[in-house]
Amino acid sequence: MLAIRFHGRGGQGAKTASRILGTAAFLEGFVAQDSPIYGAERRGAPVAAFTRIAREPIRERGIVAHPNLVVVADASLIGDPAARVLQGVGEKTVVFVNSPLSAEQFRAETSLPGRLTTLDLTEIVVQHFGKRGAISALLGAVAGRLVGLRQGSIHEAIARELAELGLATSDIERNQAVAHQSYETVQPVAIETGVPQPIVPAQLQAPMYEPPTRGTARISAAANSVLRETGGWRTFRPVLVPDKCNGCWLCFVYCPDGVISMTKDDKPVIDYDHCKGCQICVHECPTDALVAEREKGGGVAWRAK
Amino acid sequence: MWQRETFKKIKQIPSEEHVFPGTSLCAGCGGLESLRLAAKVLGDDVLYVNAAGCFTMLAAYPFTPFKGSWLYTTMGSAPAGAQGVRDALDVLIAKGRLPKEEDLKVVVLGGDGSTYDMALSSTSGALYRGLDFYYFCYDNEAYGNTGMQLSSSTPYGARTATSPCSLQHPAGTIQEKKDIFEIWRAHTPPYIATVAPRYPLDLEEKFARAAKFTGPKLFLALSACPTGWLYDPGETPEVARLAVETGLWPLKEAINGQVTHTYIPKLKPVEDYLKLQGRFRHLFEPTRQDEAIRHIQERVDAYWKRVSG
Repeated sequence: MLAIRFHGRGGQGAKTASRILGTAAFLEGFVAQDSPIYGAERRGAPVAAFTRIAREPIRERGIVAHPNLVVVADASLIGDPAARVLQGVGEKTVVFVNSPLSAEQFRAETSLPGRLTTLDLTEIVVQHFGKRGAISALLGAVAGRLVGLRQGSIHEAIARELAELGLATSDIERNQAVAHQSYETVQPVAIETGVPQPIVPAQLQAPMYEPPTRGTARISAAANSVLRETGGWRTFRPVLVPDKCNGCWLCFVYCPDGVISMTKDDKPVIDYDHCKGCQICVHECPTDALVAEREKGGGVAWRAK
Repeated sequence: MWQRETFKKIKQIPSEEHVFPGTSLCAGCGGLESLRLAAKVLGDDVLYVNAAGCFTMLAAYPFTPFKGSWLYTTMGSAPAGAQGVRDALDVLIAKGRLPKEEDLKVVVLGGDGSTYDMALSSTSGALYRGLDFYYFCYDNEAYGNTGMQLSSSTPYGARTATSPCSLQHPAGTIQEKKDIFEIWRAHTPPYIATVAPRYPLDLEEKFARAAKFTGPKLFLALSACPTGWLYDPGETPEVARLAVETGLWPLKEAINGQVTHTYIPKLKPVEDYLKLQGRFRHLFEPTRQDEAIRHIQERVDAYWKRVSG
């Protein structure tokens, strides 16, 4: 059995990628299972999804704790302890990272375990579509290539899964084209399945009940949410071009998270520790003084303090 | 002609923040944008009574984005919770155990699932009793926190997880959006208003006006939702702007039941608004559903004809 784990940010398409991979394997006659983590799949927040592929019926359920392949849709997730990208990753695990860095550069920067391969999927999407967008088809294709599935089945799986999401035929075809490119370009690394690990059943604890005075969660602090940094949610960051700014305040007014403040001479200051990268300020700036720049530098683009 | 008295220029919007960052609400959340602007008028001396919904994520334990207080309730009971809090504050003040200047504004936060469906009866009760509170509904037209299931706020023609496009119903949702504004207005509370995040001065002005009234003050905030409506998060203000400019989201207020439209849109074709969002994509692709689009347009036209005539 092959166990694949996808990590992404809500909206990037990790869940759909796990489905594309599962469907492609099914089309080739394998038994396949795919599931996302159930929870708040928020735009930008860390999400994970799983695919299992085997020749025999799959008895294992739940999250993939010992993956053969880990697909990372956003390099900044590696530094985010909440995402648990490295959980169960050993020397033999193949790790794919969506990054502009080469595998060697990436390893030098992050000392990531596992056998690494990288490709800049975000750049492929930006070039073909002219804007940011979900990379589910590309992730599915890369994962399919690494586990050794045929391109034809990936092609068909993308058509099925994206049609189910309501995408137009023209969009599906464009996704198939970029997926094809990713399938051809990614540097393959052989996956060793090794000796299957015995599965230890999870120990469940009986819940404890407390009277409401003790059992109710209480927060006795004020405005302490700032301790939680959401800067790692970004795949693109807004950057000010000071000469173009006319000091109109619109970026400050429209920012949902209140991370833009204005200086005395009416210039915006962006709190990058908390900016989620929605790009509302970039869209609304009347003088194009705010531009979206891709978060660069691979795994060290951002780190929880 | 309706005119803003307090907020005439963008730079009059207070720069002090009262909803702090670090919440795990989606990037580009239109509901958070409205709440943040509203809080600039409400200030810090507030007790938020939060019905379960997306805004549950505001104060995810052990963090809170507020300097004021926050009480969490079930989806159906936030206005009842607000009554309890208001009574407790009043009793403490009457007994001299809480100085009057430390009084708090009681503000219910509820999504459309709570507001239009589950908390409708407890809201009606609170309005009937004339409870002195604010009600802030962040309306993203579906049960967003659980994966965009149909609510009675979902408009005709939108595709949701529980109203998909089918052979029988190719347009998706077949029901019309419930007119909660009129349901509230039938109770004749002192103040009701609709707001949209792309119209910040209109929003701030309405909260400033509401502060003069004792009793229920209700707000319906358009919460353009990139995650559920399927558009790029950066387009939230643009989607909100088109909702207003096409006439689908009228900006209005009702003082003691008397309705005034605070902004008269140019009534762009509804198509401009629908086209931006993935939840309406099936109306245009693979085949254009002219009848459904016409139906939406006719309802908007009929509304504006009725209110202007």
